[in-house]
Amino acid sequence: MSLINYSSREINCKIVYYGPGLCGKTTNLQHIYSRVPQETRGKMISLATEMDRTLFFDFLPLELGQIRGFRTRFHLYTVPGQVYYNASRKLILKGVDGIVFVADSQIDRFEANVESYMNMLDNLTEHDLNLERIPFVMQYNKRDLPRVVPVDDLERELNPRKAPYFEAVALRGTGVFDTLKVACKLVLKTLG
Amino acid sequence: MVKGNWALFEEDFWAINTILQSLIQTSSSKSVMLIDKTGQLISSIGEPPGFDVTQGTNESMYLSLIANRVILVVLFDRKTSLGLVRLKARRGGEELLSVLNKLFDKLQYKNEEISAATLGAEFTAEAESEIDSLFKE
Repeated sequence: MSLINYSSREINCKIVYYGPGLCGKTTNLQHIYSRVPQETRGKMISLATEMDRTLFFDFLPLELGQIRGFRTRFHLYTVPGQVYYNASRKLILKGVDGIVFVADSQIDRFEANVESYMNMLDNLTEHDLNLERIPFVMQYNKRDLPRVVPVDDLERELNPRKAPYFEAVALRGTGVFDTLKVACKLVLKTLG
Repeated sequence: MVKGNWALFEEDFWAINTILQSLIQTSSSKSVMLIDKTGQLISSIGEPPGFDVTQGTNESMYLSLIANRVILVVLFDRKTSLGLVRLKARRGGEELLSVLNKLFDKLQYKNEEISAATLGAEFTAEAESEIDSLFKE
């Protein structure tokens, strides 16, 4: 749910990074934060536990600047990946304009990806939202690790609708901006 | 899904700000914000808050939910009292409710044509090139 303010001429859009625990959602946001110009980014807010796991969410506002007179902002959120924080995930998905699903490519995490994906579909349904009508980008993260599932298999299981996908190594920044760019552009198309 | 289903127009924005302005003055608060439940800031008046997610010893926060969709936040310090803030916030909340209800009605009928008229292909193209230049390694 984007907010268009015709009076102060602002547009705010909400993009949520979804995925299983430890797949690299926060790492994506940290990389973005470290590489965008200072005037583009706001303060990154992370509510994390002592073990560095996301407790509630991360939040990073990005501002594109004036576009045809409108200050255009993207608010990036992550959800907590751990299974038992579903109430938080559901809340954060409320009013989402675009979703990035970060999948962990490791063989051991295949089931966790599927579970998180199904959980996302359930939570969207509860908000009366349908993935087919929401801008959606898939990111296969941790491609540098030795025991990873082939992309074709991940595609078959997690991306039946053939949304755009990117291979990534978020820790090094590979694929992070490609993912973000496509997600932002798809969201803008729904406004234009 | 409705396109950009939160759009604020000139008159609504001023109507909301007038109510917030009067609330901050009559209650002697420091800052008043109106936030959508999804986390979008709709408007804010007064000093921007100087803290993130802390419990202040000198500042207090009063929250109320309006139309089950929007949160009115009042930040105040010891210059005023909770009783006064609550009283004024309740009145302000009622006024906001009537402005917001009108706005929601308007959005339901007009949203598609309005967003199509104002934004559009040129906006998208310009925004896309901005994204390409800002979001890169």
